[in-house]
Amino acid sequence: MNQADVSKLVSKLRVKVLPKHRNLPGPKGPEGRIDKLRKTVTGLIKFERIELNYNRADEARQYAERLISEAIRHGDCHKPTMDTADFWLLEKELVHKLFKVLVPRYETSNLSYTRMYNAPRLQYGRTIDKVVLELRGNPFPDLLNNKSNNKLLIQNVLLDAAKNDYRQTKIAEMAKNIGKDIGTKQNTDSKLNEAPEKPNIS
Amino acid sequence: MIPRFTHVLQLMKNVERNLFHMFGYHPPKELALAYVHERKPVATPKKFSIKDIVGDGFLLAVPKFRRTIERKLKRKFGTPEYVWKMLVPKNHIKVCQNCGHHHEKRRLCENCYTKIKKETEEIQAQIKEKLGINPIEHDVVVLYKGETLPDQPKEFWKGKRIIEMKKERPQWFSKNLLEKTTQQPSKSTDVKPTDLA
Repeated sequence: MNQADVSKLVSKLRVKVLPKHRNLPGPKGPEGRIDKLRKTVTGLIKFERIELNYNRADEARQYAERLISEAIRHGDCHKPTMDTADFWLLEKELVHKLFKVLVPRYETSNLSYTRMYNAPRLQYGRTIDKVVLELRGNPFPDLLNNKSNNKLLIQNVLLDAAKNDYRQTKIAEMAKNIGKDIGTKQNTDSKLNEAPEKPNIS
Repeated sequence: MIPRFTHVLQLMKNVERNLFHMFGYHPPKELALAYVHERKPVATPKKFSIKDIVGDGFLLAVPKFRRTIERKLKRKFGTPEYVWKMLVPKNHIKVCQNCGHHHEKRRLCENCYTKIKKETEEIQAQIKEKLGINPIEHDVVVLYKGETLPDQPKEFWKGKRIIEMKKERPQWFSKNLLEKTTQQPSKSTDVKPTDLA
């Protein structure tokens, strides 16, 4: 049929989008929900790393991703995109940041633009699940900070040295045995040559 | 012997009485209460009042109905599907790869996170202070005390906002893990037990 390809109309997000939105209940209703999300998206773009409740973060994340992807897709000369950015970013200097900082940062990446981590839960007492929402490529220290693959980690340095030592000893051993090996091999070869050929039965 | 005798006597008496009864001879009337009807004035019933019973004292709330065993157990232990009040061992605790503290699976390590959060807030405050009211047009590079820009072509640094922190780079935030520690060695000699309980 004459149907437009949906994937060309709307950019596909790189985060999971739930089939139904969360209501984020409050006295203001749906309008209040949008207000909350605008505040969160603005905060995320401004501070690059924020801690908040899971539901609100997950909901706001989708809007932030969509905003950045639209900005990358259409650029700053596209009226609807500019209007969207104007609507979602309450502080207007962030519109500059979106197009001048974030677009160049994410243009070439094929990952999601934001990351979400579960924040540690209190040991005692019932609390709402918190998450840490951040933009990728921010200047802050890495949250996972996984150094196990770092070449300069002291354990890795020691392991490398041990491996090198082992390799050196092995090489020295092999170098010692080279001459002997050749000698023994020659002997075996000569023995093989000396062995009488078996008569053909067939 | 005597009870048997009296029993036989009683039986005989009964037979005699029944025979008389059959032929119309009734036994003599036995003693009966004489009732004289007397009309008493009807007392108006007094209205029940709790004060008559309590008087000067006071009443405590008491259970009206017995609590069934099921209800009692539900109140005590809860329901596993909803609120389970028993102490249940947690099986999803992992050891942090970086600091060795315990944390829940698929969650950030609390020890590492508080450290990183503090540093992040410091950097954010510094960025805010440095930026002032200028428009945000450039990316941020964070440099600590005594650090120089990493080796990159000059075009790379063009237009970057360089934020200088007024302290040395924390060791855990360092890329080079062999560099000297920034923590001052302690001078105290007294030994204290740490992390008790």
